[in-house]
Amino acid sequence: MGKKRLLLAEDDELLAGLLNFRLEKGGYEVKLSSDGREVKEHLTTYSPDLIISDIMMPYFSGMELIDYVRKELNLSTPIIIISSAGNEENVLTAFELGANDFISKPISPSELLVRIERELQKV
Amino acid sequence: MNPKDLLSQLTRLEHTLNDFSFEELTAAEAAHLKNSFQTFRVSLENKIFTPSSSIGSPTEIDIREDSTSKNLKKNNIQSPNADMLVAKVSHEIRTPLNGIIGFADLLKEDKLSKIQLERVNAIQTASYSLMEIINELLEYSKLSAGLEQFESVDFNLNSVVDNVMYLCDTLITDKNVELLATIDDEVPVGLIGDPSKLSQILLNLVGNAVKFVEEGSIHLSIELKKQRGNQIFLTFSITDTGIGISKNNLEHIFDSYKQAEYDTQAKYGGSGLGLSIVKQIIDNLGGDISVDSKLGEGTTFRFMLPYKKGSIENIVKRDSTISINSDELMAVKGLRILVFEDNVINQKLIAQRLKSWQCKTYVTDNALYGLNLLETNQIDMVLMDLKMPEMSGFEVTQLIRKSKIESVKQIPVIAVSADFTAQDREKCLQHKINDFILKPYSPDELLTKLVKHKNRMKTTLTFESQTINPAMEVYSDATKINLSIILEDCLGQMDLLEELVLLYKQNALEFIGIVKLNLDNEDLEEVAFAAHKIKSGLAMMQSKSLYTIVEQIQKICKTNGDRKHLNFLHNCFVEEYPLVEKAIDEQIKALKNR
Repeated sequence: MGKKRLLLAEDDELLAGLLNFRLEKGGYEVKLSSDGREVKEHLTTYSPDLIISDIMMPYFSGMELIDYVRKELNLSTPIIIISSAGNEENVLTAFELGANDFISKPISPSELLVRIERELQKV
Repeated sequence: MNPKDLLSQLTRLEHTLNDFSFEELTAAEAAHLKNSFQTFRVSLENKIFTPSSSIGSPTEIDIREDSTSKNLKKNNIQSPNADMLVAKVSHEIRTPLNGIIGFADLLKEDKLSKIQLERVNAIQTASYSLMEIINELLEYSKLSAGLEQFESVDFNLNSVVDNVMYLCDTLITDKNVELLATIDDEVPVGLIGDPSKLSQILLNLVGNAVKFVEEGSIHLSIELKKQRGNQIFLTFSITDTGIGISKNNLEHIFDSYKQAEYDTQAKYGGSGLGLSIVKQIIDNLGGDISVDSKLGEGTTFRFMLPYKKGSIENIVKRDSTISINSDELMAVKGLRILVFEDNVINQKLIAQRLKSWQCKTYVTDNALYGLNLLETNQIDMVLMDLKMPEMSGFEVTQLIRKSKIESVKQIPVIAVSADFTAQDREKCLQHKINDFILKPYSPDELLTKLVKHKNRMKTTLTFESQTINPAMEVYSDATKINLSIILEDCLGQMDLLEELVLLYKQNALEFIGIVKLNLDNEDLEEVAFAAHKIKSGLAMMQSKSLYTIVEQIQKICKTNGDRKHLNFLHNCFVEEYPLVEKAIDEQIKALKNR
């Protein structure tokens, strides 16, 4: 079996750099995107096993991304949302739109890995 | 040992080095290794090619030019020194010529009478063809001196062919010529090799065919010759129904300074170096080329090149093929773009592309001319090739950022590069390059980047819907920073942590600048966005004091927008940051010594 494929959408390079490193070390294949439009583009050619997306991104927010994946692409790919602290309202909306889980900043990479594994096992 | 053999070996060594997986090395070590190798190579080249006395005197060149004698049949016998001279001279001619072209361009924008305009156009046409000849000469001498660098990257064969066909199609004007390309199913789409050299060869051969075919067809076909493990050998053939080449001329067709007939030269122009360049490139890539022709019936060029099989993953990363979105096309319409690019083919390609999207395009490889354009014309965006001969893209960007004109200083610069290393990324940040795109890119990728930066230009980012939690913790003083948590997150990899710290520092400095600028411009939306962006990095590096300041900045932007208060907070950040930086540096030192 090949590596599980993750799509990581995060516009903060610092965080993205760290997460990318940890996810790859964790045995995943990671495609990194720094904005929502790019994510959308990647999704036409790349079918990830799971999507991790920051809720706030230029041009195409995490919310729009969830909506796009669920409604337009009709995919049930698990989506984990990265939210900023104090953004609970948005997290609720994200769940309503079809997000599977969320993790708030500051992020612990180890926690994210656990959450990813949990979502992947559900599939 | 023949210096050229040595050089080609060096090139091979360099390739191997590039291919080598640096996973075990840290980015800094790898960059260092690469750098020192480059320095070594350059100094070696200097030693080999430094003219000793009056080598490369005019007479020597004359001999080469006139000679059709048999002892010069192989064009690579020329002494390296002569080639170096040619390279040097061509380079020096290019600079003033660029000036001529550029100023003719500017002249055209003045109000000219019809006859004046015609004359300026004539100057331009002549300069352009002179430039083309010089470029070819330069390239040829570089090739035969073994100075040309070859890439080894993943690329998509289909998109290379598509690009070439697209360009050649634009060369066919009011002629009844059919252009056709077929790639055999057995040929893998993903290859590893030098895509820009391949497109150069194809463009030259197919472009030549277009010149010589008045009516009929040109057919490019690509087949798999053989495959040995990862090694792939491809046969390319270009068949046309053109005027053909006589047997006599066929013999010398790949020699330098030889075009079929002198009257052909007069009719079709060019330096006559095209095919010699093609042959040199193919030789250097380890392939071979042959030609078949019958006068009046047509010509077939056939060449073989070795490649390695590429991985599909890498190609997906490089060019995703999606259909062009009409909204995006509308968005870039009328955009004014300045392209810094030295490769003639890429110049043509990008100019053509942008033109088809109805962008106004300026292309140059001359920094000063480009800057002049920026300062005298309304230009919205810059595409910057990082590797240019006289001045690198980094240096040009630095000049742009130093401009006295605010709009020029702020212009989005998108770097274009075939080989984008981690070191380049850092350098981009340092030089305030906004984004980058990897060569070869698909039109969609380019379009997406253009749209992205067009939007950013107008700062249409909406920033709302985030509720601020007013209950902030009271943070302890800045000078106590504990990076062991983040180091744990980095699995104890010190070099990764240091890389992140470097990014962190750049982000912080950038933040200080952006906030200052936008406070002056009263653009609080941008201030808030910058504040949001930097927060997670501050949290990651445990910079609690800075985090608190930034959170307050964010909050005020969204509520009353009190300028005085914002200025005060910005000052706090500016004063606090050096202390934090010092604390971080000390932590790093301590962790290293642990």
